[in-house]
Amino acid sequence: MEEKRDRKIQIVVGALKLFAEKGYYRSTIPDIAGSLGMSSGNLYNYFHSKEELAQEAIRYISSYLAIRIREVNESKKSSREKIEDIVRIYFETARDEPQMIDFFLRVYLSNREVFSDGCEGMVCVNEFITEIMIFFEEGVANEELRNQDFFTAFGLFMGYLGGMVFLYGERMLPKALESYIEDISENIYRALGV
Amino acid sequence: MSRTLRLIEKVEGEVSLSYRVENGRLRAVSTSFFSSRGIEKILRNREAMDALVINPRVCGICGHAHLMATVRALESAMGNPKLTAKAEALRELTLTLEMIQNHFKWFFLTIAPLLGMKSPIQAAIEPSRTAASMIAVVAGQYPHNSYAIPGGVVCEPTIREKSILLYSLEKLIGYFTRYIVDTDFRSIEECEKIENILRMDGYLPQAMRLIMERGWERLGRSRDRFIVFGENGIFRQGKSMATRYYPSLRPDYIEESFVPESGANSVRYRGRHYETGPLARAMVAKRPLIREAHRRYGDSLLSRIMARVCEIASLLHYCRELIAGIDLSQESYIEPGEFPQSGVGWGVVEAARGSLIHRVEIEEGLIADYSIITPTQWNLVASDAEEGILHGALEGESADAPIELIFKSFDVCSVCTTH
Amino acid sequence: MAEKKLLLWLSQLACNANAHSLLNHPSLEEFQKSFDWLYHPLLPSLSSLDEILDNYEEMECDILLIDGALCAGLSKKGVRMRDMLEHFAKSCSHILTVGTCATYGGIFSAGGEDRSGLHFDGEKRLDGFSDFFEKSISLPGCPVHPEIVVSVITALAQGGSLPLDSYRRPKEYYGYTVHDGCSRNEYFEYKIDRHDFGHLEGCMFYEHGCRGTYSAGSCNMILWNGVSSKTRVGEPCHGCTEADFPTRGLWRTEKHMGIPARLPLGVSKRAYLSLAGVAKAFRIDRFHRRILEDEE
Repeated sequence: MEEKRDRKIQIVVGALKLFAEKGYYRSTIPDIAGSLGMSSGNLYNYFHSKEELAQEAIRYISSYLAIRIREVNESKKSSREKIEDIVRIYFETARDEPQMIDFFLRVYLSNREVFSDGCEGMVCVNEFITEIMIFFEEGVANEELRNQDFFTAFGLFMGYLGGMVFLYGERMLPKALESYIEDISENIYRALGV
Repeated sequence: MSRTLRLIEKVEGEVSLSYRVENGRLRAVSTSFFSSRGIEKILRNREAMDALVINPRVCGICGHAHLMATVRALESAMGNPKLTAKAEALRELTLTLEMIQNHFKWFFLTIAPLLGMKSPIQAAIEPSRTAASMIAVVAGQYPHNSYAIPGGVVCEPTIREKSILLYSLEKLIGYFTRYIVDTDFRSIEECEKIENILRMDGYLPQAMRLIMERGWERLGRSRDRFIVFGENGIFRQGKSMATRYYPSLRPDYIEESFVPESGANSVRYRGRHYETGPLARAMVAKRPLIREAHRRYGDSLLSRIMARVCEIASLLHYCRELIAGIDLSQESYIEPGEFPQSGVGWGVVEAARGSLIHRVEIEEGLIADYSIITPTQWNLVASDAEEGILHGALEGESADAPIELIFKSFDVCSVCTTH
Repeated sequence: MAEKKLLLWLSQLACNANAHSLLNHPSLEEFQKSFDWLYHPLLPSLSSLDEILDNYEEMECDILLIDGALCAGLSKKGVRMRDMLEHFAKSCSHILTVGTCATYGGIFSAGGEDRSGLHFDGEKRLDGFSDFFEKSISLPGCPVHPEIVVSVITALAQGGSLPLDSYRRPKEYYGYTVHDGCSRNEYFEYKIDRHDFGHLEGCMFYEHGCRGTYSAGSCNMILWNGVSSKTRVGEPCHGCTEADFPTRGLWRTEKHMGIPARLPLGVSKRAYLSLAGVAKAFRIDRFHRRILEDEE
């Protein structure tokens, strides 16, 4: 079981790279299998369809970010510091694992039909959303963040980061992505703080 | 001359009654209460809706009347939002059921032992338990629910609840016949002759005969002034001085003043004390049997006991009409809109013991001031003993008279008074 | 039961609802035959309160029931209630604090500085009566359900074991939450966060302040008056069995960025939000229709 799980993750990691290079729709199962040096038939032992693979990919990304944000949530830092940590995690992921954020923005958010059966609503990014909720909830409980609707806060936070990463991916940012972390964190804090 | 101090107990808490005996007669009668719970203070600076949960806890036997007074006060501060007929009927029904259990308990637990009647405990327990479960089927539980909120009621009764109500009410009517008077309960409402009741079986005729045999029927007469604020399907608002009736009252003519030696507030209407309760209601609504009792015995303990116990028949009849009239397809609740940031509201209801009045003042969305005027305050607390109602009933009475019975004929609620 | 145990009910700052609620027990008449009341504020008793106040030092009882908030300054006929409680507490075998006021202070404790429960002021443990802590049993509720009072007294008289929690509440009744058995549970489980007053449908946890998932009690297991409960009819649980009753804002759910500030008893935020996220992802049509709607 453990072995099969590891192999599935390897396939997801490989597929994400290929999707980033060729685009999701232009990548076929044989392409993905080929890039991993395995037969299509063998790949079907792990995923019955490209949609199933895509769904596993988004769960993998959600979990990747969630594990890191959970560490932030479990730290004793202030909300202001936590914002900076979360922004850094997001930007470093975009820099070091661009295929992940690329998949999240260009495939997951843009092609909801791929995810309609099995990833309803936000169920496949639940781990990530849960950590963001915990961050917000504790910020309000500690009277550091202003109480408001979840989505108004979430949209501001994640929309902002997504926009910056999109500009970065399109090579439209004049400076390195990390150099924006401090100002962006300050902006988010000013928008959400009490 | 030394004062006599008596503890009057089992009046929903206790009251201390004191007087001097001069030449065998009671003089300088006064009452005092042991504590005050400070509900009005507890309410201050709370959200208005919280009053719906806190106020029923003023009283374990008439808390539902406090809920109704509260919801009316809040609605009045909101500009009286529209309610459906169903919501109105359900509120009336549960309020009326509370009065019924009150009256049964008072007659069999408070009055019967004083007359030495050997009524079984079931006479108090069965009807009050049945009435309580009828309230609960609509309102969730009894005592202490808050199912009436601005805009209506929280529940959505179905045919289940309606049929439980229907058959439980028949049970209640059966208890009336079994324990109060062995006759069709409707005939009490139309009865005009006291002799007709006296000839019947049941604990009410027995109590009346016992009182008459002892020559107590004219004891406990007071000022002969009655007041009723609440109005509904069976009660009429107004005041009555002996048999003269004056309609329409204004709650802002009510004056409350703290009486230090009593530890409670006295209440007057345009400077005068009035009796409130079932006798007042029967006089204002001109119920024939009670007017006949009043004509013969005045505002005496017998008239009071008859008024309260016979009122059960009217209340049962009212319940029957209310249940039959409930249209389950109507909405229970209509969103009343936001609370005003400031405003004043009055809530007036007839509770078992008489008129209950709540007044709320809202500022910046919170309760800035809340005052509660309970029936026992009308009847028991006097800023001027020359004028007080209980004082009138006891002052000058013989020291050998059944003082506790006279006192308890008012159906006193100590906990309400010490809110 | 060889001989009848002697019960004594002493009211402090009380509204009398616990006493009245007891009268609603379906077998009260039979219960009455098995016990004697030295005093109860409503039921036939061996003594009057007046007699007890005059002679309490020569009296004893088996089980002492305390109702209402204790108030340091409260006296009746010149007898300090505190002295009288202490006297009976010493000689009795068990003390029951009947209701939330006697247990934690409740509503009336906010009316003055000198008011509290017997052993607790809210959640805070008090020293005043600590010698009697081990013989005390807490029965909170505003009012307490009559069945709890009757079965605890019966169990004590019969000498059975009574598992208690740290507030000395019998676990048979307070080991559950008010949520257990609520007829609206499906709406909670599947995170249907809409509730309109006056409707059979919907859960009041999300908007209307229902405290059922984190309040100890059996209101939905042992129905009130044998027929219903607050949450069943559509009134939120206000947490009247809890040490912090009454909290503020009793009709609305306090939320932090849309997330309920208080979560079901013992459930971590992460566990709750993970489950909620999954449940919310699915739209289940049945929960969005009126139950009594005619079907095609």
